[in-house]
Amino acid sequence: MKMTKIYEGSHQWIMFGRDEGKPANIIDTNQYVVRTANRCLLLDPGGAELFAPMMAAVLHHAPVDQITDLFASHQDPDVISSLGLWDQALTNAKLHAPAIWEGFLRHYSCESIEYVPIPDNGGTIKLDSVELQIIPAHYLHSPGNFHVYDPQAKILMTGDIGAAFEAPDAPVFVDNFSAHVEKMRHWHQRMMPSNQAKRVWIERVRNLDIDILAPQHGRMFKGDDVKRFLDWFDALQVGIAV
Amino acid sequence: MTNQTKSQFVAVASITSELSAVMVVAKEISLAAANAKAIAFRAGDKAKGFQPITDFINELAKETIELVTDINIHALVLYRLTVNEFQKTTAYNKLELAAKMAGDAVYANTMQEPLDNARLSMQDCQRQFKRDVSQLLGQLEAVMHHARAARVIAANSRIEASQAGEYLQSLQAVAESVDKAAHTIHDNVQRCRIALSIYRNN
Ligand SMILES: [Fe+2]
Ligand SMILES: [Fe+2]
Repeated sequence: MKMTKIYEGSHQWIMFGRDEGKPANIIDTNQYVVRTANRCLLLDPGGAELFAPMMAAVLHHAPVDQITDLFASHQDPDVISSLGLWDQALTNAKLHAPAIWEGFLRHYSCESIEYVPIPDNGGTIKLDSVELQIIPAHYLHSPGNFHVYDPQAKILMTGDIGAAFEAPDAPVFVDNFSAHVEKMRHWHQRMMPSNQAKRVWIERVRNLDIDILAPQHGRMFKGDDVKRFLDWFDALQVGIAV
Repeated sequence: MTNQTKSQFVAVASITSELSAVMVVAKEISLAAANAKAIAFRAGDKAKGFQPITDFINELAKETIELVTDINIHALVLYRLTVNEFQKTTAYNKLELAAKMAGDAVYANTMQEPLDNARLSMQDCQRQFKRDVSQLLGQLEAVMHHARAARVIAANSRIEASQAGEYLQSLQAVAESVDKAAHTIHDNVQRCRIALSIYRNN
């Protein structure tokens, strides 16, 4: 599992991905970790197949008992089917996840982990002195869907928005936006169901000060590529399967 | 999922299906008993010996139904336990793998405690599973006992039927159906026991 530090300040952001041990037939994912003084938040911790490599990788940054928070942007298996395994490993943790998916996600088993339902209008996650904002992104693609924004690190974790599918050794940042577009087009057109939801989200996100846009698949967008991505996505017709 | 877990799931799930067949048959016995009672009543003195037998058959059918109802509840608990044990075992194996993969990570040693806990709770589950299997085997044995008793009664019924004059045929039919039903119950329950017994001690 490749680890890349993407923010270092009063706290850290680390991106985990490009796992070389991943079975070829499951989708490649990025996991993000926010590490504060005594706590550790895993954003979209990943599928069950990824649990052991992910756990092992996190142990380079935090002891098990300081993994106190998990966040699931939505209910997909590539996001959170590892829940039942984290549930066995962690004794003092919370899962922040969309309220509407509680009854669904509990199928993965969530007994020792406390399920903290996120209401439709979002909320915050406090980790030591760091406060992260939970930004609604419903219907993009899941009907109950959230992103996480860190105003201090200026990072927006966007789940399936901005996703692309890459070779296992691809760089972690977009370096040629126009070439990258083709890797994203079909995914966004097919997976994102609503032009209206897209418009609302872009409006909301344009008001945020973003250095890094961090999707759950593929490469991150940095600096001007963030705006390029938003413009491109703004102009894209989605929901093409009907 | 290993073959062992797979067959454990199948064994536990098959109990419920075998038992639903037992339930149907036990209800048939109960019906046969009611039928026999009516015939014996009409036959009057000629079927004197048959009357207490019908009550006995009815009682036996009732008890079997109660037992099977109770076993079904236990089988459901056992099924949940199987699911639980599977999850606990999977979790333990994954935690062990994570600990191995963590290698020389700074905090690798902090995995020891969750790993130990996962092992204990997996072993707990395995013990509880074995305990519940033994208990269920005991209950199944009780049903088989009833089935054997029903066959003895069926044999007696045949003798009594032979003295019932013109009612001979209908009473003999009752005895036949009780015997057949008891046979089916015996076979089904035996299959459950064989499927389960390999989990008692290993
Ligand atoms: Fe998704
Ligand atoms: Fe995804």
